[in-house]
Amino acid sequence: MTGLFALMRKEFSSLFAQPTAYVVLTAVAAVTALVFFDHLRIYNQILFLYSSTTMGGFSSDEIPDYINLWDTVFFPVMETLGMLLIGAVPLISMRVFAEERARGTDELLVATGLTPTQIVLGKFAVTFGFVMLMMLVAFVYPATAIERGGLGLEHLGSVFMGLTLHGIALASLGLVCSAYTSSQLVAAVSAWALAFVLWDFAWVQPFVGEGLAGFLDAISLHLRYGSFAEGIVSLANVAYFAGVVLVSLAMARFSFDLRRVSG
Amino acid sequence: MSQPGTSPARGARVEARDVTRRFGNHLALAGVSLDIKPGESFGLLGANGAGKTTLIRIVSGCLLPSTGQITVDGISPASDPTRVQSRLGLVMETSRLYPELRVMAFLRFIGGARGLRGPDLGRAIDREVGRFALESVADRPIGNLSKGFQQRVSLAQGFLHDPDLVIVDEPTGGLDPVQRNDVQEILGSLGGARTVILCTHDLREAERLTTRTAVLSQGQLVAEGGTRDILGRDDVLELFRMGAETPS
Repeated sequence: MTGLFALMRKEFSSLFAQPTAYVVLTAVAAVTALVFFDHLRIYNQILFLYSSTTMGGFSSDEIPDYINLWDTVFFPVMETLGMLLIGAVPLISMRVFAEERARGTDELLVATGLTPTQIVLGKFAVTFGFVMLMMLVAFVYPATAIERGGLGLEHLGSVFMGLTLHGIALASLGLVCSAYTSSQLVAAVSAWALAFVLWDFAWVQPFVGEGLAGFLDAISLHLRYGSFAEGIVSLANVAYFAGVVLVSLAMARFSFDLRRVSG
Repeated sequence: MSQPGTSPARGARVEARDVTRRFGNHLALAGVSLDIKPGESFGLLGANGAGKTTLIRIVSGCLLPSTGQITVDGISPASDPTRVQSRLGLVMETSRLYPELRVMAFLRFIGGARGLRGPDLGRAIDREVGRFALESVADRPIGNLSKGFQQRVSLAQGFLHDPDLVIVDEPTGGLDPVQRNDVQEILGSLGGARTVILCTHDLREAERLTTRTAVLSQGQLVAEGGTRDILGRDDVLELFRMGAETPS
């Protein structure tokens, strides 16, 4: 365990020694805030419109059901945040393994006696930690919407869990891409491609059979993530994200064996 | 059993038996056999692309041989790399460091990865910082150091856990003459206490730092013996020159 903790400390130091981490954290916080306040502005304008037409102020009974904090502000912000993570997370995961390979420090790391499993676990854990930090930063404004909008702490927990699992799944995919290349650019681009393909298969459904469409639906990130955003925590969805992480861990671990064989 | 009055030679024994390594159609090592005795300072000499780095990658467990076997104190790095790595210090080129880390943080990381902690880690770091004269740069980022100091940092991490076997790959590559001399002096002072394998294409460096040498050319072991004897042989030097002129 000493070796694993030493690696994790080093990974945190390396991560925060580079501007990318700060840029990504700031960008995610800024874009989330902008998107949130923009939707809040639209919501307020709609409310104002209704209050103006009635001239004597409005009572909530006169506002259509579909004009509510949830549908007008919160859900679109969560959708945008989910997409934003697809763009942001690979920027963090791309360097994790690829940079070690490009520098040649991957062999130094292996030669310290750390096992490939320890190296993979350490790097995944630190990247997941960063994703959680990113979620905390990004979640400040949506959290106020949930709290103020009376949606409840349980809903808040569900949404935060969904966002975090979504971010962790994206990080896992990005780390696998990083583990098989020495180019950070290739790692990032392949992670983006993979994440966008997995995000939503709805567009493919008219072209494939029912069985395949059902399968594609089942592995789509959007569907699983959306369920959390609606406040539903189902074991199947948690298992799905856990599955993505476990498969990614195994694939990243395998890259070390492959490297020993192929050079 | 050691003889009365003499201490047993410290260090690891490295044996290679008919080691071959292919990368696709390219034969990087062709049936190399070696026996490096405990406590020996052994030179691996060869031009770029001769197979030196491939051989040390196999010894360190980072690469599997296509055929043949290597053992370190009887342990195969192919089947039990972690046990071999626990008694091995690997010193690579200076570019293979973490430039964003400060020297102390880097040494703490390597020591921690080696399983050292608490007072043991502190003592090991103090020992190596003193041995490689890193006191003045201990709190500076590695990327801001001169090549000479970076090489010292690289050497310090290789000795941190006091290994039985140290493999040093091109320790003076890219250094100016003063830095080269400094590093060679440090390396020269380490001989005898452990097995040292020095990979180099610098003949003078091999002569100065090793007692026995093997010469690799295009993946083949073309000569092995006392360093002075080897470097005195015209045929070997000619092969070495030919290899050096062959684009890798």
